[in-house]
Amino acid sequence: MKLFASRDDLICWLESLLQQRIVVAPVRVEGQTMFQPISKVEEIIFDFGNTTLSPKGWFLPPTETLFSVRRDDGQVELVPMLVEHDAVVFGLRPCDARGIALMDGPFLQEPSDTLYQERRSRTALVGLACHQAQPECFCTSMGSAPDDLSHVDILLTEVEDGYIVQVVTEKGKALLPKGWAKYKGKMPTPPQLKTIPTKEIVSAVRELFNDPYWERLADRCLHCNICAYVCPTCYCFDVRDYPDKGKVERVRSWESCQSPGFSLTAGGYDPRTTKGERLRQRFYHKLLYFPERFQEVGCVGCGRCGKACPVNIDIREVISDLQQLTEARSGS
Amino acid sequence: MALESPFIPYVAALKTAIHLTPDIKLLSVELEDPDIRVGFDYKPGQFALLSAFGEGEAPFGIVSLPEQGDGLEFAVRRIGTVTRALQELEPGDILGVRGPFGNYFPLEDYAGRNIIIIGGGIGMAPLRPVINRILQRRDDYEDLLIVNGARTPQDLVFQPEFPTWKAAPRTRLELTVDKGDENWKGRVALVPDVVKELAPSPDNAIAIICGPPIMIRFTLSVLKNLGFEDNQIVTTLEAKLKCGLGKCARCNIGEKYICQDGPVFTLEQISQFLEQP
Repeated sequence: MKLFASRDDLICWLESLLQQRIVVAPVRVEGQTMFQPISKVEEIIFDFGNTTLSPKGWFLPPTETLFSVRRDDGQVELVPMLVEHDAVVFGLRPCDARGIALMDGPFLQEPSDTLYQERRSRTALVGLACHQAQPECFCTSMGSAPDDLSHVDILLTEVEDGYIVQVVTEKGKALLPKGWAKYKGKMPTPPQLKTIPTKEIVSAVRELFNDPYWERLADRCLHCNICAYVCPTCYCFDVRDYPDKGKVERVRSWESCQSPGFSLTAGGYDPRTTKGERLRQRFYHKLLYFPERFQEVGCVGCGRCGKACPVNIDIREVISDLQQLTEARSGS
Repeated sequence: MALESPFIPYVAALKTAIHLTPDIKLLSVELEDPDIRVGFDYKPGQFALLSAFGEGEAPFGIVSLPEQGDGLEFAVRRIGTVTRALQELEPGDILGVRGPFGNYFPLEDYAGRNIIIIGGGIGMAPLRPVINRILQRRDDYEDLLIVNGARTPQDLVFQPEFPTWKAAPRTRLELTVDKGDENWKGRVALVPDVVKELAPSPDNAIAIICGPPIMIRFTLSVLKNLGFEDNQIVTTLEAKLKCGLGKCARCNIGEKYICQDGPVFTLEQISQFLEQP
């Protein structure tokens, strides 16, 4: 179903959504465009390429309490954290919606991660189609598109005098006001993106595990972890206890396989001691291990990692290098 | 209704804690909820995560057998903050238990075979329920050879059980240490050398091995020289994993997740991992 909303219609609708539920939307924070719960609709940024961080943090927060421990007279009570509000993530790009759908793989597989699952089921996704591709974008090479409807509840496409509103799911339909007119016009042509070769990338990766490529590539890696931080599908985490004034909280926080010690065992042994082994793990997890488990490559083509990397390690280049190395091998 | 978080442990009380070695304690733990206590079924090789509230959570092999019926036992070596906090608990103190997780040693499949158990240091922990299960069902198995090494005599972990193990029919216990003391009359040798000297036959045999990586590496080459095939050698892998649920990815090695696909693997399986543990 396609509807049309003027800019005023959209603002009115957002005002009413904000009365009922948390609205998470792109806002300016210290010069960056970030997803945050808003208090006023005017805070929302509509004109942006993509946000600095993906909205994954709404579902898997950078740090969150899993439960707290209350001690009383020798009794211990474990108090779970609950998700108490309905929400809408407004304005996410189709690639980032796909990132969330990919995170569903590990987090909803049994036994499901209940905090993630509750946030996911209580949050609607209102996407904003891209009218312009950014230099770092390659979503069409990774199975998505600037106007991809697959993983949103509603997709908005900006046109000259307002927004075309594509209603994708029942969950999305339930959010909308009555009275918006049907849209009968054509859809604007989405921006064209440069494609990168990704054919048989999964099998290409498999053959190159012991290739010296990884150590060479990692020579310049600073293991700063920014790639994992900005990635919409990186989901590794750490869990620690934080005692505070007699109360203890068990806290989960984002972690990265690029951190030295990530795979260190209690006995002091570490299967990944070099930067090359750790960098290889990041690409192998996305390009081989994730597809083996969840049938999809763990990259949505948002290009944030390459853009943020201080030493220009770009996943597009890595993918193309891997294919060239495979070709060179089969040719020799 | 809120869903039950898989991160929330069962509340348990420490029943007893005894020093097995200067840095390893045997903790006996009882789950508070009687229904959960009865329902907590597990097999040799499975692990649980123990919580010392305020310090954190870490994985440990369950070293008891469910049929013992008197709580869950864990051999905890003091090596970091969580293990230190667990060792400092007094009987009656509260801790958390999540589990059981992972696969197990398929001991039923090994019926009718000679079993060789090779353990070094705290690596004996996951092997203890294997030995005790085999001894309970002694007639199901052929000869049992246990090779147990440690740094010094006082570091041999399950000493109180050695007399029982030694006395069991068709069972041989061979102890060895890296460095003896004035009372030690046994072997002073490395585990791989002892295995080489004893030269167990690979015929109809399964070798189950756990210990420090260096011990495993050299013992594997001894076993292979003796003619053991990769599918006759079984081990259990370790990771400082955070969830046990296939999510945190801390135990991801190659295509495998130790918490879900393991921790027990044959050498044949491990040799097919893309990344070697």
